[in-house]
Amino acid sequence: MAEIRLENISYVYSEGTPFEISALDDINVTIKNGSVTGIIGHTGSGKSTLVQMLNGLVKPARGKVMLDGKDIWENPKEIGKIRFRVGLVMQYPEYQLFEETIRADIAFGPKNMGLDSKEIEERVLEAADFVGLDRDLLEKSPFDLSGGQKRRAAIAGIIAMRPEVLVLDEPAAGLDPSGREMIMQSIMNYKKRTGATVVIVSHSMEDMARYCDYLIVLADGKLLMTGKKDEVFGRADELTAVGLDVPQITTMMNLLAGMGIPVNTAVYTIDDALNQIYKLL
Amino acid sequence: MKNISLGQYYPGNSVIHRMDPRMKLILSLLYIVCSFLCRNIISFGLLFVSAIVLILLSRIPMSLIMRSIRPILFILAFTVVINIFWTSGETLLFEWKFIHIYLEGVMNAVFMVLRIFVLIVGASLFLTYTTTPIALTDAIEQLFAPLKRIKVPVHEFAMMMTIALRFIPTLIDETDKIMSAQKARGADFTSGSLINRAKALIPILIPLFVSSFRRADELATAMECRCYHGGEGRTRMSILHYRALDFIAILIMITFGVSLVLLNMLGIGYTM
Amino acid sequence: MENTKNYFIKTEDLCASYEEDDGRAVQVLSGVSLGIEKGEYVAVLGHNGSGKSTFAKLLNMILLPDSGKIYIDGTDITREDITEKEIYDIRRKIGMVFQNPDNQLVATIVEEDVAFGPENLGIPSAEIRQRVDEALSLVGMSEYARHEPHRLSGGQKQRVAIAGIIAMMPDCMIFDESTAMLDPIGRKEVMDTIDMLRREKGITIINITHHMNEAVRADRVIVLNDGKVYMDGTPEEIFGEPYKLELAGLEVPQCTALIQELSRKGLRLDGECTTPEKCAKLLRNAIGGKKNG
Repeated sequence: MAEIRLENISYVYSEGTPFEISALDDINVTIKNGSVTGIIGHTGSGKSTLVQMLNGLVKPARGKVMLDGKDIWENPKEIGKIRFRVGLVMQYPEYQLFEETIRADIAFGPKNMGLDSKEIEERVLEAADFVGLDRDLLEKSPFDLSGGQKRRAAIAGIIAMRPEVLVLDEPAAGLDPSGREMIMQSIMNYKKRTGATVVIVSHSMEDMARYCDYLIVLADGKLLMTGKKDEVFGRADELTAVGLDVPQITTMMNLLAGMGIPVNTAVYTIDDALNQIYKLL
Repeated sequence: MKNISLGQYYPGNSVIHRMDPRMKLILSLLYIVCSFLCRNIISFGLLFVSAIVLILLSRIPMSLIMRSIRPILFILAFTVVINIFWTSGETLLFEWKFIHIYLEGVMNAVFMVLRIFVLIVGASLFLTYTTTPIALTDAIEQLFAPLKRIKVPVHEFAMMMTIALRFIPTLIDETDKIMSAQKARGADFTSGSLINRAKALIPILIPLFVSSFRRADELATAMECRCYHGGEGRTRMSILHYRALDFIAILIMITFGVSLVLLNMLGIGYTM
Repeated sequence: MENTKNYFIKTEDLCASYEEDDGRAVQVLSGVSLGIEKGEYVAVLGHNGSGKSTFAKLLNMILLPDSGKIYIDGTDITREDITEKEIYDIRRKIGMVFQNPDNQLVATIVEEDVAFGPENLGIPSAEIRQRVDEALSLVGMSEYARHEPHRLSGGQKQRVAIAGIIAMMPDCMIFDESTAMLDPIGRKEVMDTIDMLRREKGITIINITHHMNEAVRADRVIVLNDGKVYMDGTPEEIFGEPYKLELAGLEVPQCTALIQELSRKGLRLDGECTTPEKCAKLLRNAIGGKKNG
């Protein structure tokens, strides 16, 4: 539905003061229409800034953010409309819930879009379905829900705007394995049913390997590499050189290769590893 | 937002920086008293010179001092106007219709402006510019410790100040994040009527309150885990010690005050 | 007392619950009996709501149990006539590091924060100074002694929090999901610090987590589920039963899952397989063996 192209993006914090830090330095990358793209990098690599540029929360110092071929900052007064098209779920989004009921909170975004009440109601229910929140939870206060439910309610608040691009910054951080699984399934559900483009920032390489098609790797504000996930994980040594993780299974395959066993190291799921090992046995 | 620094502490190693924070607290109070002792042009002159000497001693850039004066420029202007136009005296300088300006008025205006200037400079030089907020908190706790005997919660007050200082940057960061998150859902904080704008703050204030309570709760648990049980039986790692410098400083300050009083007795010029 | 003296921490049939806003009581722990020896390194696993956090808070008397017994270093801390002094002594012995690094630092200067615990214990100034310096150097944060905590990274904040506990000279430290909010670098900093504390100070470690890769670093893994001890054994034993773990809402590390899958398909591989290194060795031997034979 929508493609985002970043052209020569740069960003500097506290420009002109002694605290000046270059957060992003000449980034050129395309997020393909309908893809699931992962962004990898350390805290401080500039990925949070980059993510906030996708929906115009942060304006690049230099360079352009192109949404379907149009510069999103062409008309700065219309930047609000971009935020409905590119939905951003920030880190720990459950902390932004504020309404008395989950239903009202999910409706906040659609209401700001100026939709009529029938349409809003429809979208709230649809969004709740996508994230697997039971209807009877909708009347509850956000503060009576479990951690995982709150997180899903917050994501539903963005999904209810029906964004063409759904961007999530660490959507599963701090959750237990089953909570994490449910969040990732909700996102994939939305993607499958609407064909939206999805951008995920995560430290979990296992999740990245499992869900993403493309990866963007940032290091110290620069684009280190980008490409299909097997291309990126195939360069495991470059990733570990800048202190990034690779999936455990990739590390293991690299160790095997180092021991002189002929395996392909661009492997990141258990099934692929199994296939490789069967061949050798 | 990460780079905001609390208070206006200006790092340095000047004589004033090195003084005991308790002594600085006392000195700033005495200095303010001194500014009220001045009565005539000579004592005010000396007061002004002393302020300049203090600025030089602290090695704080003049631009920074001026910045702390800026917020009170309006008050200064107001004082000048009131004094010039509403003081009546004997020596008439200027007359036009109902406006009468007397020499006494002009002198009063000059003296008042000087007094306020010295007040600000004194307080900011001794306290905010040369003392870290944490040192100031310690100073308050230790200086007022005797008040504990009459059940003044000195320790609790100091602890509250410390925690507030610790969490203000965190909460500013958090406000920033919540604002971004609500903007991502189409919230608009900059347009509309005043009432609409106030309403637009609700999605920020409620999450901020909720998170502050959560933080307070977690902090309280963490403090309990570290055996916190109020000020009773508590020791401190850093104990403040007065040094020779501090005693010299207070002697100079007292001498200064006495000389101001003596100078007032010289009947030169207009006396306030 | 006979059976308590071998354990540093011993619980007997521990039950705990909390009350919801509507007055409904929710059972969190229902009969937990455990013994943890001095110097042991234990990981506690369990999904959210499995009672693992409550368990930790019972051990240093932040929460009180409904029934059951807790012995710390041979002292029964659940008895009625426990004194305030004893409570502070328990809290000194069992230090706790929490999840959110921001919400456990009290002071505006790193070293002042580390001094907070010892100050509460009424330690003389000179000794506090010494303890603070030692604790900061132990966690590698000496150069940040005069920094403001809010300018540190998450991992650094957690190391300061750890130093704050170390300065109280505890026998045991509980990490209550202390890495959950950190990035991989911060997580590694904290995990390495934990290993070091164990090695250098012989401190008993209880690490509550849901990162399986952290749990494999412990000597022993306890899985809590529905308020009960669901599994208890070495990491190899625990991760050797992936299906049982899945039922408790947990998962096994990728490498362990790979080996499990291979053995399900008939390739028996015996040995430890919790880390990539161990797993690679196992596979090399298996593949090499096949080729030679």
